[in-house]
Amino acid sequence: MRMLLNVTGVLLFAFLLVPAAGAATDAATCLSCHGSMEGTVNVNQERFAKSVHGSFDCVTCHPAPKGDQHKGMSGPAPDKAVKDFAAAIAPKNLKDPLAAAACVGCHPDKVEEYRASIHGQNVIVKKSSDGPVCTSCHGTPHYIEKRPSMASKVYLYNIVETCGKCHEEKHITEKYQFSPLVMERYKESFHGRKLKLGHTGAPSCASCHSAHSIVSAKDPKSPVGSVEAKKKTCGNAACHPGATEKFVAAITHQPLHPIAHFAEIGLIILTVSVFGFIIIHVLLDIFADIRDRLFRKGGGH
Amino acid sequence: MEKNIPAEIERFDISARIQHIVMFVSFLLLSFTGWGLKYAYAQPASAWITVWGGPKMAGIIHRVAGIIMLLDFIYHQFYLLNLARKKDLRLTIVPMPKDVVDLIQNFLYYFGLRKERPYFSKFTYLQKFDYWAVYWGMFIIGTSGFFLAFPVTVSALFPQFTLAWIWDVIFIMHSDEALLAIVFILIIHFYNEHLRSEYFPMNWLWLTGKMPIETLKHHHPAEYDYLYGKDAEKRKK
Repeated sequence: MRMLLNVTGVLLFAFLLVPAAGAATDAATCLSCHGSMEGTVNVNQERFAKSVHGSFDCVTCHPAPKGDQHKGMSGPAPDKAVKDFAAAIAPKNLKDPLAAAACVGCHPDKVEEYRASIHGQNVIVKKSSDGPVCTSCHGTPHYIEKRPSMASKVYLYNIVETCGKCHEEKHITEKYQFSPLVMERYKESFHGRKLKLGHTGAPSCASCHSAHSIVSAKDPKSPVGSVEAKKKTCGNAACHPGATEKFVAAITHQPLHPIAHFAEIGLIILTVSVFGFIIIHVLLDIFADIRDRLFRKGGGH
Repeated sequence: MEKNIPAEIERFDISARIQHIVMFVSFLLLSFTGWGLKYAYAQPASAWITVWGGPKMAGIIHRVAGIIMLLDFIYHQFYLLNLARKKDLRLTIVPMPKDVVDLIQNFLYYFGLRKERPYFSKFTYLQKFDYWAVYWGMFIIGTSGFFLAFPVTVSALFPQFTLAWIWDVIFIMHSDEALLAIVFILIIHFYNEHLRSEYFPMNWLWLTGKMPIETLKHHHPAEYDYLYGKDAEKRKK
């Protein structure tokens, strides 16, 4: 009996020392190469360990790494949902579609929303590579941090830049007939400025347009798709309760209307002329003051 | 006649001085907090806003200061009405054709084409401009600020055809004219009342309300003559 306990103890101890003995597919094995490689295949060990996915084995998302160097390093075969999603996002021509689709394994609800969204439809139905997939907005899953995280690409204060990556792109705005100044107009609005300053109540893109389930702003299903929808979205209790039809007209992201444009030019001309006049006036006054003190002692006084 | 001339003269009564203090304190608070929002994308401004307790607190300060300034402005109108009622109101701050003459003569003096400064009245053309600039500012910045502070309520007033541009116009009015006001005050007011060699570090008139009679004679000769000249004796009779 005592003998048996000893053996069990030694075995348990040995098990602690070599946690994944025999499995060459744990993260440490992969990182022994990928932790020090250069380029896109590099995975920063420290940041990966800190991320929400840091406890995963690499093969959870990369079930079948290609090439001879990875022989015998395959993980469990991906399930149907992953394979389906990988096939759906094939138009993106990703290097490893199975890995890019692996998100669905744990986040099926978000992927479901995405599939129905205009972003998902663009890739899946229109077979276009313009639309984003999970990693386009969230960045590599290796470094996704617990929220709220300033490092996150979809954090309230960073998401404007993330959306801007595509929505500010000329070929995208022209192809899909977006307002070419959507980012600029948002950034100069009170919303954009307050967000920049860290105002916790300021809305970013996703606050009004929604995120995974986003549809075109012209689509009546959009939270900003109609005047009624806007009244509800803007009229959120924390934002502008009682928002009216005339109130929601304030934010359009469209280029300035000619009247506003010329009003701005008029005011700039006024401002610059007044500046010019007063600066000249003050300089002349200083000049006359010095002149009188130097050359006209008591003169004129 | 010389005996009747005091050493100094009260230019602003206590009420006017308090109105001025309330005005400039609220003006500075509005400028400091508004600047942070206007230049949110310029590096020092975003750090500057933390001095005012972050964007939320800065917003509250801005609104409170705005209301105080508005009340101060309204109070001033009643102050003027009261002066008029007591038949104490001289229209010395109203722009007159003489101001154009003064302006031309002042520039001639600057260029050395005239030996003396113009025959300035109680308020020079620049001081009148400074005074009426507040009315312009209250109209443009005050109205737009009021609209921006209560956008949902105020939106009911906008006619349908203005909706495509009214909000942008209001925003531009508020932001651009505020910049004009700040720079105007910074240059003209600081130069005239602080930096001028005879006043540095400041013209204490804002606290005492009094101007030495020599200063009056030198800078506002028309007013001096009005008060102590030959005609002044006649008016009293």
